[in-house]
Amino acid sequence: MSAVSVFGLSKSFGHLRVLKDIHLPIETGDFTVLLGPSGCGKSTLLNAIAGLEDTDAGIVEIDGADVTHREPSKRGIAMVFQSYALYPTMSVRKNLSFGLRVRSVPRQEVARRVHWAAKLLQIDELLDRKPSQLSGGQRQRVAIGRALVQQAKVFLFDEPLSNLDAKLRTEMRVELKRLHKDLGATIVYVTHDQIEAMTLATRIAVMRAGRIEQYATPDDLYEEPATLFVAAFVGSPAMNFMPGRLISSTVHIGSARLPLNGYRFRSSPMNGQEVVLGIRPEHVQLAPEGQLEAETLFMEPMGADTLGWFQFGEHRLSARLVPQVARGLSGTVRLSLLADHVSLFDPSTEARL
Amino acid sequence: MTTARRNVRIGRIGLYTLLVWICLFFSIPLLVVISTSLKTSDEVRTFSIFTLPAAPSLAAWIKAWSSACTGLNCGGVRVGFLNSVRILIPSVFVSVMAGAVTGYALSHWRIRGANAIMLLLLICAFIPYQVILYPLVKTFSTIGIYSSLPCIIAVHVIFGLPVMSLLFRNFYAGLPEELVKAARIDGAGFWRIFAFVMLPMSVNILIVATILQTTGIWNDYLLGLIFAGRDNMPMTAQLNAIATTSTGVIEYNVNTAAALLTALPPLIVYFVSGRYFVRGITAGAVKG
Repeated sequence: MSAVSVFGLSKSFGHLRVLKDIHLPIETGDFTVLLGPSGCGKSTLLNAIAGLEDTDAGIVEIDGADVTHREPSKRGIAMVFQSYALYPTMSVRKNLSFGLRVRSVPRQEVARRVHWAAKLLQIDELLDRKPSQLSGGQRQRVAIGRALVQQAKVFLFDEPLSNLDAKLRTEMRVELKRLHKDLGATIVYVTHDQIEAMTLATRIAVMRAGRIEQYATPDDLYEEPATLFVAAFVGSPAMNFMPGRLISSTVHIGSARLPLNGYRFRSSPMNGQEVVLGIRPEHVQLAPEGQLEAETLFMEPMGADTLGWFQFGEHRLSARLVPQVARGLSGTVRLSLLADHVSLFDPSTEARL
Repeated sequence: MTTARRNVRIGRIGLYTLLVWICLFFSIPLLVVISTSLKTSDEVRTFSIFTLPAAPSLAAWIKAWSSACTGLNCGGVRVGFLNSVRILIPSVFVSVMAGAVTGYALSHWRIRGANAIMLLLLICAFIPYQVILYPLVKTFSTIGIYSSLPCIIAVHVIFGLPVMSLLFRNFYAGLPEELVKAARIDGAGFWRIFAFVMLPMSVNILIVATILQTTGIWNDYLLGLIFAGRDNMPMTAQLNAIATTSTGVIEYNVNTAAALLTALPPLIVYFVSGRYFVRGITAGAVKG
């Protein structure tokens, strides 16, 4: 059974349609990330699931029950906010227990759950402090703790890590992953950071302008992006794109020919159709018998590997190289594109072919 | 170098001389009132108002407080003081709390037409009292509570509400929206969020609102005169009655003592809470 199901959800702010007929089934135990640039509607969708935002059309189901018109507190959800939204006048302990006290949970049970969450998040030392006496990372833990004590069916996270510095963010990412694994909780998580999405998610919904462009596992999303937008948005360094023409299962790009062996077409393109070929930097390799002849431009060392930039005709191509090889590189080189890993898109519809 | 420094020093002396003169200019009326209140009636009549009392005495203060006459009643301003307190406490409490709730509702809950309500409040805040006095009198007498304690309290609450609501709305608009969302998810409703999340954060603004309302309501004369009724005349109205009583000799020393007694409560409030006042006003202003 789905933990959360969204059917045909639409929402407008005045004339601006922020959600357009969204369908999103989320399985129990999934870590679903809503990923997209700012203004794509991902936070609005999360708020609609939470019940903090009224919707114009559509149904939200949580744990099999239609909750479309229920109050947030009656939906069996807990939420963590970007600004943490801790109650500034209450101690950490009071912050954690507020929701339980509102619901008149017996006092011993409140104490037990607060103790459990504090232990799990390693904030038991801080229980008597006020939020203003905590660091950013500690506040984040308290905010997560406040959600955990609810023992909700679904946890909603609205960009919870974006106010932390880079190092702390990586730490909290690991922490969240551990929590998800330990608790087996269903999580819906909003972010604009594709690395956060790739590392945390079991499924990612990439959103753009109020629509879900693709809803798939991180691997599928990375290897077979459904649209040009997804291909460009996911992956760092970004995918290379080159326009070409498809003639009898071979992509012609300028003078180069790239035969496609075993490309899984989703549609049946016409012979001679214009295409956009996308290939990730790690699938561009130096090879003496490579299909393309290109000029070396410059190298970007990234530690574990080096990103090499090359000029091929009017296109600029990047390739992920072994640092030792990249160091001595200059002049004209031959590059090979791994045909098994290319993605082809229709330039007019931007959809994967 | 030295001439420059000397010029600066001369400038300073000039500045301070000016400031001292300004201070004197503004404090002279107060000093005259204080000094007059400490004199005897004879002293007031025989000497100039600037002469200091020969033997300062609190006799006039005691008379003003407990036995000065307004018409046939000779109970001093004490009666008015108690009336003012009875008007003040419920009026301040109700108007501040009503303003806080209104401000909270307008800033954190999507209310249909919230902007229109805000505009109305803004307009109401600047309407002169005199314009709506007569309709208000008619309304209250129709309801049947005209000239009573509830009537004057209701009037103060009505007149206080626009400014109070604006003050609190601006303060609450500066608080993050996510706080209310978090509390809603925690299961708290409109009133519980107000009582347990918003109010505890509002200490400074509550103090500001209380000061504003306390001084405003205490110093009110017109509304008290019109709406309170004969038995509930506030201290200001009674002070006026004492000062304008035309029978016998005018006792300036008693009149000034009564005036000082009437002005004392707001002064004490300012001295005690000035610090919070400045802090609260800026907090509200910057965040609004």
